[in-house]
Parts: sequence; C-alpha cells; structure tokens
Amino acid sequence: MARIGLRLVERPNAVEASLWRRLRSDADLSCREHLFTLYVPFARAIAARERRRRPANGMERCDFEQLAFGGLLEAIDRYDPLQGAPFLAYAKHRIRGAVADGAARSSEASAQHHYRAKLEAERLSSLRAGQDPSRDALSELSELAALLAIGLLAEHAQQASVAETVSYERHEWRELTLNVVEEIELLPKAERSVMQHHYLNAVPFAQIAALLGLSKGRISQLHRAALTRLRERLRRFD
Amino acid sequence: MSVQCDDRELRNVLQAVQAQAPNAIEQIEALLGNCPQDPRLHFLRGSVLIGLGRHIEAHGALSQAVALAPDYDIARFQLGFFELTSGEAGNALQTWKALDRLPETDPLPKFVHGLTALIHDDFEACIQLLREGIALNAENEPLNRDMELVIDRCLPLIAPDAPEMVSETSLILGQLGARPGDASN
Repeated sequence: MARIGLRLVERPNAVEASLWRRLRSDADLSCREHLFTLYVPFARAIAARERRRRPANGMERCDFEQLAFGGLLEAIDRYDPLQGAPFLAYAKHRIRGAVADGAARSSEASAQHHYRAKLEAERLSSLRAGQDPSRDALSELSELAALLAIGLLAEHAQQASVAETVSYERHEWRELTLNVVEEIELLPKAERSVMQHHYLNAVPFAQIAALLGLSKGRISQLHRAALTRLRERLRRFD
Repeated sequence: MSVQCDDRELRNVLQAVQAQAPNAIEQIEALLGNCPQDPRLHFLRGSVLIGLGRHIEAHGALSQAVALAPDYDIARFQLGFFELTSGEAGNALQTWKALDRLPETDPLPKFVHGLTALIHDDFEACIQLLREGIALNAENEPLNRDMELVIDRCLPLIAPDAPEMVSETSLILGQLGARPGDASN
C-alpha cells in the first residue's frame, strides 16, 4: 500500500500502542522488530552516554551499542504496556543496566588478560636474563622454548587435578605431567616455592619476592634455575 | 442483569463525559458492571479511553462493542478508523467490509470509500467522497469534523497553495444517541 495518505492520519502514540497490543496478544513478531527499530536511536544514545562515562577498557563504540541493543530487546520482551509506565523510562533502566553489566565483565576479562600477560612477560624476562651470550642464537632459542614449555607443563600439572585428565590425553603425556609434579616437589626449597607460587597460584615475581624476603631479581634467577633443573631431570624419562 | 442499561443512566454518564468529569471512565465502568452486554457502553468507554491515550484498552473496548453488536455501524466505523490511525490499514478495511451493505444514502459507506482512497493516495477521490458523506450526515457533527480534518490534510497535496486548517479532533459523542442496528447511526 502507498504510504503518504496513511501518514496523514496515523498517530504515532496509537501506532506504537498497536504494535505492543499485537505483539502481546497475537505474538506478532514483526511488531517486535518494528519496536526494536523504533527505539534503536534511543538505545544508541544511551550507549554513547555510557561510553563517555567509562574508561574504554578495550571496548569500542560498537561493543557498547551491542550491549545496549541486548538491553533493548530484553526490555521489549519484558515490558507490560498495560502497567502504565512509559516504555522509555522502563527501557532506559534496563539498557543502562545491560551496558553496565557488560562493561564490568569486559573490564574483569581485560584485567585478567593484562595480569596473565604480565606473568608471561616475567617468565620470559627471567629466562632470557640467564642466557649464555657465547652460544649461538638457535641454541639459545631452542633452550628458551624448552624452558617455556616446561613452565607451561608445570602450570598445567599444578592447576589440573590429575584425576580429571580427559580421555584424549595420551598416556605418555599424563605420565610426563605426573613426573613434573613429582620433580617440582624434589626441587630445592626456594626453587620449589617459586615454582609453586608462580605456576599454581599465579603470583607475580614481585609478590613472591616479598613473600620470601628476597629481591625480585633473585626470584627471577630461582625461576630459571628451577626450570633448567626440571628439564635435566625430565630427560631421564626419555 | 439487563442487556442494555437504562437510557437515563446512559444520558447521565454522557453528560459526565461531555463535562470532562475526572471520574467519567469510572462511571462508565460502574454502569458496565450492571450491563456488561451493552455495546453502547463499550463504545463510549472506548471513545473516552482514546481521549485518555489508553489506546490498547480503547481498541479492546471498541472491538467488544462490535462483537456484541455486529450491526452497530457507527461503532464498527469508528473501530476501523481507530485501526487506520493506529497503522493497521489492512485491519481497518476488514473491519469496514460489513458496512458495504448500507445504502447509498448512508454517509458511512462514503466515508469508508473516501478513506480507502486515502490509503491508496488518491487524494482527490478521498476529498470528494468524504465531502459527499459529510453532506449526507446531518446527525453526527463530531464525525463530520473528523472527516473535515482528513480533508484539510489532503488539500495541500492537491493544491499546494491552499491554506491548511489545523484543529483538534473532537470526541466521538453524537453517535452514541443511536441504538445498534439503526439504519442511520
């Protein structure tokens, strides 16, 4: 049907009320889509305001809008048009809540990501500090990779319950994991402490240093020494 | 419990509505409590609810009036008009179909055909048909005013130099004096 004539007589409030009525009474999902389209600018404006109020934490404008649109859909699905409250007021609260919850989750994930990156940087720095400059680059790289791998193995061994190993893990891998756990227990006390605090509890070197009353540099040395010792001991099982 | 309420009581509540009494809707609903099958009361309630902006309930009330009295022509026309202004042109045409049986001397078919022309952007036909309906309608002045409003909105589209008259849509009251099934409401 043509639209100009209809626009002359349609009343926006009545049109919107019709959408709500048909959505609720007839489950007409096209009305849901119409209502969403109608309120996209509103949700977008809230997303922009919320973004200005918060540090980015790696979130872009589209991320805020996605959260706002999710809140808008939820509001549309839950709103009762016969309760009397205008939809704008009802939806504003839900959209802001959705953006706030999403931003908090992103912030936590971002914080965890940064924390993990910090730990990995510490490990790499610790291992590179003890490298022998007279050795060729390939040998150094090979040793570095091996020590990092031992560290990851230690992290896996410390954090996963041996009883929970999944069926797809090979027998040899599970044996190696068990060996790492046992060998860590046999390390000298200081090296054992560094390995357990860092790989089991994800404690940064600075805090381990404070815990053990040592310098951060000494912790770094102990870390490298522990991985080198583990590598030697694990060779016995080849 | 009687099907229709006493005419005197209906007149009283009509006066309350015309006087814009703050409890007009409550008075109507109290009467409905005694006469829930009276389509006139549902129609009146729907009309008042439109004025209050309670559109979802208004549609329900108007629909109930027509459901109770399918030959309540003015209620049927107003339900269709409400659907038209609510973006439900298809439903409006469906609602109005039963009015095709009315004679050429009745204004309602003229209004329906005029609004149908409007839906199809045939503004000249719309204006002509609505004017013909207005000329036939000597009993329902508020309805004539509503149709004149539509004409006023169409005029600039066929004569850009014509001045546009803007006024408020009046409450639909004059139609309530007639009983459902009357040939000319």
